[in-house]
Order: sequence, then C-alpha cells, then structure tokens
Amino acid sequence: MIWEILEAAIFPGALFILAVSLFYEWIDRKFYARLQNRVGPHLAGPFGILQPIADLIKLLSKENIVPAAADRFFFTFTPIMAPTLILLACMFLPIAGLSGLISFEGDLIVLIALLSIYTIIVYLAGEGSNNRLASIGATRAALQLIGYEIPLTLALLSAAISAGSLSVAGVLEAQIERGIWFIAGPQVIGFAIFVVAAQAEMERVPFDIPEAEQEIVAGWEVEYTGARLALFRLSKDLELFLLSGLGATVFLGGSAGPVISGLEPLLHAVYFILKSAVVLLIFSIVRAVFARLRIDQVISFSWRWLMPLAIILIILTEVLA
Amino acid sequence: MSFEIPIGPQHPIHVEPIMLRLKVEGELIVDVDVDVSYLHRGIEKGLEVRPYIQGLYLAERICGICNCAHSLCYCLNVEQLLGKEAPPRARYLRLIVEELSRMHSHLLWLGHYFHTLGFETLFMYFWRDRERVMDMLELITGNRVTTAYNTIGGVRRDLPQEAEAKLRRALDYLEERMKYYEKVVDGEPTILARTQGVGVLKSSEAISLGTVGPHLRASGIRHDVRLDDPYSGHDEVPFNVVTHDGCDCYARVKVRLGEVVESINMIRYALDHLPSGEYRLKIPPLFKAPEGESLARVEAPRGELVHYSISNGGTNPYRYKVRTPTLANIFSVVYMLKSRGDREVYIADVPPILGGIDPCICCTARVLVTDEARRKRRILTLTDLRKYSQGGRRVRG
Amino acid sequence: MKIPGYFIAEALRNLFRKRATILYPYREVDKIHVPEGLRGRIEFDREKCIGCQLCSRVCPAKAIKVVQDERGKRPVFLIYRCIYCGQCAEVCPTKAITLSRFFENVALRKEDLIVR
Repeated sequence: MIWEILEAAIFPGALFILAVSLFYEWIDRKFYARLQNRVGPHLAGPFGILQPIADLIKLLSKENIVPAAADRFFFTFTPIMAPTLILLACMFLPIAGLSGLISFEGDLIVLIALLSIYTIIVYLAGEGSNNRLASIGATRAALQLIGYEIPLTLALLSAAISAGSLSVAGVLEAQIERGIWFIAGPQVIGFAIFVVAAQAEMERVPFDIPEAEQEIVAGWEVEYTGARLALFRLSKDLELFLLSGLGATVFLGGSAGPVISGLEPLLHAVYFILKSAVVLLIFSIVRAVFARLRIDQVISFSWRWLMPLAIILIILTEVLA
Repeated sequence: MSFEIPIGPQHPIHVEPIMLRLKVEGELIVDVDVDVSYLHRGIEKGLEVRPYIQGLYLAERICGICNCAHSLCYCLNVEQLLGKEAPPRARYLRLIVEELSRMHSHLLWLGHYFHTLGFETLFMYFWRDRERVMDMLELITGNRVTTAYNTIGGVRRDLPQEAEAKLRRALDYLEERMKYYEKVVDGEPTILARTQGVGVLKSSEAISLGTVGPHLRASGIRHDVRLDDPYSGHDEVPFNVVTHDGCDCYARVKVRLGEVVESINMIRYALDHLPSGEYRLKIPPLFKAPEGESLARVEAPRGELVHYSISNGGTNPYRYKVRTPTLANIFSVVYMLKSRGDREVYIADVPPILGGIDPCICCTARVLVTDEARRKRRILTLTDLRKYSQGGRRVRG
Repeated sequence: MKIPGYFIAEALRNLFRKRATILYPYREVDKIHVPEGLRGRIEFDREKCIGCQLCSRVCPAKAIKVVQDERGKRPVFLIYRCIYCGQCAEVCPTKAITLSRFFENVALRKEDLIVR
C-alpha cells in the first residue's frame, strides 16, 4: 500500500511528471529559440535549465488579483482543476513499466474525455473572468474543440483498432508483440493527424487562436495573475508532457525497449522520455514554421482535410486488420 | 448580440497608443471607431521657437523609424527657403542613406507584420537581417537609428573609405535573403490564408480615401514622389515603382518586399555613379532665412511626407506644418475594418489590416480637448481649429 | 510552390548556425563592434576652447551650459540631456569637442554624466 502511494506521488507519479514536464518546457523553449537563431533561456541554471521553475516561482510570488466583476467560484475553481485533470490523465501513461499507474480496458477513451473536459475548464475560466477579450478567447477555445477533437479521437482509435485493445497498455503491448512501432505502417497518417490536433489542443501556433496575443491580448487567461496564472502555465507544461508522451506511447512504442533485469523501471522511463522528446521536438518545429490561422479557417481545415483523412485511416485500418 | 471590443490604447500589437473601438457580432466586426489623439507632442510648435539648425534635430525625432525622411524633408524645405541646392555628391549620399533607411523600415515592418500573424520565426529572421542594414547605417552616419546625417546644404560626413565594400557585401546578402523570403511568402499556405483577400481596398477606393505610399501602390496605383517629383538625385538613378494589383494584405507584403530589392539596386547604381566633389555647402550654423514659404515632399518609407513652412525673415520658422503618411492612411483602415456586403472582416483580421498600413501613431496625433471636470471630450473640427489659430476666442471643451 | 511547412528546411538549417544574438550585460561585450565615427560620449579639451559659446547656441537639447572659470567662459556638457547629434563638435572652430566611441552612458549618480 505504502509502495503504491509512493509510486503515485513520487516516481513515476506526480513529482516525476511535474519535474519532467518543466524540463520539457525548457527543451521546447530552447529548441524554438535555436530554430529562430536566438539563445533562449540561459540565465537560471546551466543553459537556463531551471528557467521554467524560476518562472513558476516568480508567478507564484506575484500578487493575486481577482477582478471585481469576475465570478469568484469559477475564478478559483478552474485554475485548480486544470492541472489536476491533466495530471490525472498523465497517470494513464506507461512511464516506468509497460502499463500506467492506472490501467484498465477502455482507459484510452477516459484519457480523451479528460482532454475534452480540460477544454471545457478553459471555457469556464474565460467566461468566469467576465472580460470581453476573455469571453472571445473562451468562445474560440470551445469552437476550436469542434474542429480538432473528432480527428484526434479517430487517430487514436485507429491505433486502438489496429491493436485490438482500447487501453493504452494494450496498444503498447500490441506494438511489442509485433516488434514494430505503429508509425511504420498506415498509422503514420494517424500520427500526422495526432500532431496537428495536439497542436490545437495545446493552443500552439498555428492554432493558438484562443489566446492569440496580437488579436485578443491573452484570450481566456487575460485576467489571471499570480498563483492562478502559474497553475494555468503548469497545466500547459503538463499538457505538453501528456500529449508528447501519448504520441510516443501510441505511435512510437513508448516505454518499450531492451531492458536489463533489475533496472527495468529506470530503463523504461528513459525510453519513454527519449521517445516523447522526439515527439516534443516535432511539436516545436510545427510551432516555428506556421502563421496563426483564423478560427473559421481552422474549422474548415479540420472538417475538409483532417476529418476525411481520419475516416480513410479508420477504413484502411479495418481493411488491413 | 453585439458588443464593443477595445483594441488599444495599450495593446500587444501596437507599440504606440491608438484606440480602435470595434463593435463586433461574434467574430464579425460591424462597426469601428478610431481615436489617434493619445500622443500630442507639440512638435510643430516646438519647431517654431527653435533656430533652423536645432529644428533639424527635432524634425528628425518626429518619427524614429523614418527619421531620415523627416530630416531630408526638413533640409529640402529650408534649402528651398534659402534658395540653395545641395551639391550632386550630397544628393547621391542622401539617396543612399534614405534608401538604406527605407530598407530598414520595410524589413522592420515585414518582421513585425509576420509577428502580428503569429509567425514568430520569420519575425526573428527579418530582424536579424535588418541588423545588417543597421550596421551599414551606423558605419555611414555614426548612429544606428537617429542618423543625423542630412544637414542644411548637404550631408554631414563623407562616405568612409571602407564603407563601399562592406555596403556591397551587405547588399548581396540582403538581395539573396529577399529572394528567399519572396518564395516563403508565396509558398507557405498559412501566410496566404491570412493575407490573401484580407483588407481589400480597390484602386478607386484607395484614391478616394487619399491613401499614400506602399499602401496605395499595393492597390495598383503607380504613384511615388520619387518618380513624380524627384528631389534627391532620383531623376538620375533609375528605379522601378513596385506595384501590385492584389489590393489586399498579400499585395502589401509583396510591394514592400519588392521595394527592398529596388532599394538595393538603387544603392548599387548610386555607388557606381557617385559624383566627386563637395558633399556640403558652407552655410553658417545660425542664419536668418529670407521671407517666404516653401513646401517639400519626400517619399518616406510609409508614403508621401509633406513639410510646409512659412518664414518671416527671422532665425526661426514662423509656422511649420508636417503631414505624415499615417494620417493619410488611417482613414482607409476604418474603411477596411468594416464588414460590408460580401467582405467579411473578423477580429483576427484587425492586426493584419491595421499593420498593413505601417502605422506610426506618434506622427499622427491630432487635437482632442478633454474636460476633466465635466468628463467630456471632443475632437476639434476644422472650423474650431481655424478660429483657434486666428485667436478669435478660446475653444472650450 | 505551395507546401504546408515550406519553412521547415530553413528553420532546421538555422539550428546549426551560430546564434545571431549577443548576450549583453554579463558576457560577450567584446562581440559588439563599434565602427569608427560612432557618435558617443562627448570629450572636451579645455586647452583648445576659446569660449565662443557657439556649441551652446546650436545645441538642440540644451545640454550645454556655459560657466565661468579662471580662464574665462567655458561649456559644461550634461550628458544626461545629450542626444548625440554631434552638432557642437561640428561647429566648434577649434575642434575642442570630439565625440568618442563610448556609448554606454549609464550611471547611478548624475554627476557622472557631466563632462567638464
């Protein structure tokens, strides 16, 4: 019992996930900066590796302002819910082993549902702050969900159909059994759809419409300051971890790899981090080479291109399976 | 349901304060109101109380980015009052520095424009390449931004020995980069999606709204002060007027990219054919200008710039008037931002449309009277201003 | 040619290039190149000055004060007002004023920003 609690709290649980997700933010920022011929974070720690933690601490120490017009309940409730939901979703990922801390048949569906609930939390956060710009940002976030959620689900489901299992561990197991990653097959289309939809889920260029800085300042999070903003920032880092980890697990064989007995948890964690870092770098490149689309263009793009592609993929998977 | 969204006076896309009150229905903009009077600096009045030589440096500070155009326009204006003309070498050197500053302004604009579209990488690259131009300006004039190069009767220093070779190297580099960026703008679908068909301003509308500069040329009108009224060796240096028939934001990007290439060619030609001789006239620093009035026009990076002055024979101008290009272009922004008929304008289109005219608000501020006690504010009309300027009565808000 | 992600090749190429930025106050100050003829902090030679006050009269920023010392009238330069136009150096008949290439005019005390 005590062992399980330690697992959930420290390794490979909450603390480990938080540390790695902050490290991922650093990778993302540094790589993005290098793509742009800049230095990136370089002051806190060696190569600025502690910069995300420094930013988090700085935000936590800032004044916490609640606007008079804001809905106090939503204004307090949503910043706590956002990182909690994503952290919960992270528990489904197999990190230091071949199955996650929580694992049951159908957990892939739960994971996707948690991601959708996160967007609803974002919507509530925006509307709850009772600001015109935040309201527009929140509406955009909800509208964008219509665009990317179904292709994302279909892309993950096609991998699940191919594996014959609706659990994350089952998908991973199928890849180990066949000795080939899903990306080396028709699922490469699924991976492409996943990258695009994940970019929209994380609100990054070209789909950072809900918080488009140049249009609506910061969108739904415009009124949040101090610790509340810190929690939203943290939930973004966790989301980065979750989605790159999910991509690595479903399409790149996640934590699977040759292991030496005795060191299994550690080696599995290393494989997981390496593979999800590759997915993370792909996310970073996508962020660097596009202009932001308009909300109507996103919806029409995902229904005109992503949706048919995802349906074709499902049919292809069924035929080949 | 429609409600009002404020863009400004403080907003991430503007460095300077401008207020756009957008009336939106969902994402669609149905009405817009613009307020540019947050930044009144009293420069015209300041110019009236300074000797001509001091006014030169004040005129240069009307706008930081097109400082070269402002100082050139001021110099041309005062030279016209004095009845003198800069020697040929000075005219060519002025042209080189003016074109360099046009390149720096356009590169800055292009970078900032892609930043407004959320394309941060291209923004960083444009500004990195702009550093080459800034280095050249620093080498030739002695400063990066406020060049203080033009002076009444010529330029203040000759071209340094090593400058020509360095300048040619920088130009080669920039020409190659510009060719690449043209390919990027034509090849990247997300850029095209955000710029093509956005902010359409047809040729006839552009003329009737009195737009100037690259903004007008992007609507397919071949108008350029350098062509119509050559002022500094532009009759000798050949150049093309870059126009585009797109009439949208994409055309504005293309026109500015083309103008950078055109500037590179002009500087090359000017370096090849640089006349020898004096680079400035001997004019005492403190002088009296003869009575009269004069008007000078310059094609600033943002469009036609007009300086007008009246002299009553003293050491200061009696009246000095500046008409900046942004003031001429701001009306077209209001026009383009309104959805009408099949032209739908979304909130996301505001940055590309407003950014498309290359706004420079600190040049543009107009008079607005605010009555704090009564919490009323109103903009002075032409009649009010006329009365005010004639000293008829004090205008109350 | 329209390809989504046309820019990827260029972005990846830049990954292996030297960065364009210079780390400023802490390190790499030596990488900043200052060309000959940059208009920086004013330097003044009292020996050459003849006290004509022309510099003070042309200064657009009113950054030059004229004071009396044992040898007559002389200018005092208030660097905190200076706009680095170099007009004073240009009009000086004896070239007593020059502009050095030193550009980091930052100080904690106002007196450090006055050139006598």
